[in-house]
Amino acid sequence: MKQIFKKVLILLSVMIFTQSLVANDQEDLKNHFLKKIDKVILVVKDKSLSNEKRNDDIIVLLTPMFDFKLMAKLSLGKKAWMKLSKAEQDKFVELYVERMKNSYSSKIDSYKDEKIEVKDVIQKKNKIAIKTDIISSDDKSFEVVYKYYKPKRPKADKEDWLIYDVEIIGISILKADKAQFKEFLQTKSINDLMDVLAKKQQA
Amino acid sequence: MRLVYIIFITFVFISFTGCSSKDAKPQTDEVSVVELSQEDSDEFAEFDEELEVEEISDPFSGYNRGMTSFNDGFYEYVFKPVNNGYVAITHKEVRSSIDKFFTNLYFPMRFINNILQGKFANATEETGRFLINTTIGLLGLFDPAKSEFDLDAHNEDFGQTLGFYGVGAGPHIVLPFFGPSNLRDFLSMAPDAAVSVWSFEERDYMVDFTDTWPEYLGVKSVEYFNRMSLHSTEYDMIREDAVDLYPYLRDMYEQKRAREIEE
Repeated sequence: MKQIFKKVLILLSVMIFTQSLVANDQEDLKNHFLKKIDKVILVVKDKSLSNEKRNDDIIVLLTPMFDFKLMAKLSLGKKAWMKLSKAEQDKFVELYVERMKNSYSSKIDSYKDEKIEVKDVIQKKNKIAIKTDIISSDDKSFEVVYKYYKPKRPKADKEDWLIYDVEIIGISILKADKAQFKEFLQTKSINDLMDVLAKKQQA
Repeated sequence: MRLVYIIFITFVFISFTGCSSKDAKPQTDEVSVVELSQEDSDEFAEFDEELEVEEISDPFSGYNRGMTSFNDGFYEYVFKPVNNGYVAITHKEVRSSIDKFFTNLYFPMRFINNILQGKFANATEETGRFLINTTIGLLGLFDPAKSEFDLDAHNEDFGQTLGFYGVGAGPHIVLPFFGPSNLRDFLSMAPDAAVSVWSFEERDYMVDFTDTWPEYLGVKSVEYFNRMSLHSTEYDMIREDAVDLYPYLRDMYEQKRAREIEE
């Protein structure tokens, strides 16, 4: 009887321990996320910086949070990715990362005193979604979800938990990209796609 | 007793080899056909299911593409120039209030569709919002229901009601001026319009403020023009990120509607 009791106790303590580990992951990531946001907002509000310098500083802050390479890969999809040579893959990733950075910069330019509130943190194994509300000064809000995952091996120059997708009012930017890249590639080649991406950045 | 152990061990052994041969097979297939690094194939395996893009029914893609270009051209060459002038003389707060005024008047649609989906608490909250915003909020120009009473909006339309009961989106249709829609949402515009205060004919079953086509179109144009003026930066950002505008907008619209129905 005592033995059984002991076993149950050990089992329980293991369960509680893992549970608290999970809870710590969520809490840590949330705090880290909020700290990052505060830093970004500080830069955004710094009127002494030129727009360009400001956006560059923000991108330096954000880059370690995002797994751009993974996003590039996933947005192209397995089939299209497999057809590329190593050099083409690298070039596509580079263009995609540039595009994401430009896209963020233009979003920062339109920032006007919005507040960010974390509503919920949801974990499924090695994935955590941070649900936030962006609240504008006239009390309108919309939902943005940051989807994180923890790679098995930490990646160089990156944080432990990395963002692989962002959902804005229920629209996954990765899915939307996947849809447009897929349709584009049905009639055109990957080189055409890379040309369009490159051209967009010059404009 | 020993026999039991032997059987057990053999069983475990068989089931393990069974597993490993199942696992190994697709992997060797992949490696022999194309060169996909271990890291890549792991990552695709981990995320592919989650990021599966739903096939959207699109038999009218030719027309839809054309209409998307038309709308985009209209935005660039007609809407934008007029909007620039409008924005210059109308403060954002004013435009936001005009939008709130129109939104408030669609209370019957939201109320009925909340009821139809059995969302009675939301319907009650919507009623509270309508009463407060119409009176204290000066005919809906302001939203004290949210800022002072913390009553949330629950926007529901008939398309969402149909979706709630399992009606699929049907083929995607791009409407002139309005942009992306689908068969379900397009057909749902009629019942929603029937409970709107803007109508193009005389009605005796509920209040309406317009009775003729010119009045109706005039009011609706003001409403949509003003709303678009509040959202043009968003559209500009989407255009900037688009490689192929039509499927990009199509996917975003369908994702957004799927989420709205889910809620």
